[in-house]
Amino acid sequence: MKKKNVIKLFTAIVIACAIVISLPVFSQESTKLTDPEIASVAVTANQIDIDYANIAKKKSTNADILKFAETMAADHKAVIDQAVALVTKLNVTPKNNAVTEKYLADASKTKKALNSKSGNAFNKAYIDNEVAYHKAVINAVENVLIPDSQNAELKSLLQNVLPVLKTHLEHAIMVQKTISK
Amino acid sequence: MIRSKFSILKNSIYLLCFMFLIHSCTSAPEKVQHKAYTVEIKDMKFQPAELTVQKGDTVVWINRDIVAHDVTQQPDKTWTSSPLTMGQSWSLVATQNADYYCSIHVIMKGKLVVQ
Repeated sequence: MKKKNVIKLFTAIVIACAIVISLPVFSQESTKLTDPEIASVAVTANQIDIDYANIAKKKSTNADILKFAETMAADHKAVIDQAVALVTKLNVTPKNNAVTEKYLADASKTKKALNSKSGNAFNKAYIDNEVAYHKAVINAVENVLIPDSQNAELKSLLQNVLPVLKTHLEHAIMVQKTISK
Repeated sequence: MIRSKFSILKNSIYLLCFMFLIHSCTSAPEKVQHKAYTVEIKDMKFQPAELTVQKGDTVVWINRDIVAHDVTQQPDKTWTSSPLTMGQSWSLVATQNADYYCSIHVIMKGKLVVQ
């Protein structure tokens, strides 16, 4: 191999390594959410689960599903009320962002899928989605929203919401077992 | 005269002793002091999850969470609080052992041991 080619290959490897090393840092910085964006994600994520619960209340006759849906609607409304009270107090306007848009786009597809089902197929689809959705939201709250939030009161609210979400997940898994039988 | 005064004094002492004895025998037994205990509903848990009290003690449950909870006897629902929103409390005079749960979040459970 000629010396010139060796230099070119070495240069290419160095550039490639530099890109790979810098990517996670760049991606982390570019996706860091501001407090108004976090407020928007929090309100949207809670409203989406209320929407799912309202579909369940219309379509299901299963007592466990109806009870779970009632709890979801009430609890997520309580969280939204707290979030709205806090942003009002802090004079913060929730700001739409890429994470909010992704949640809304996914929710639109899920709502369509849920509405197309009935009977036990609906019950299974609803509770399976609740398990998956709560896992995803818990992950987002723990690893993105809480670490990114700057305001202490906003961080505290998110920390208070976390055990609520984890209890919902346990409850959903319990109902899922009865539906799968 | 002196003997008569001494006799009156002696009788008075006997009378006082008799009255004291009667009072000691007939007075009501000492009143039992009942205590009050608090169970906090916090981070989606009853804290403490198990509480031991004496019969007649009062247990107060207070909701510190942002979502509503209730306190309901399990399995027969023989007693229940209404839903408690953040900051609200409910109390019960303990008379017998009880398992209880939150009927809104059915995985939340607690136990009351009455001695």
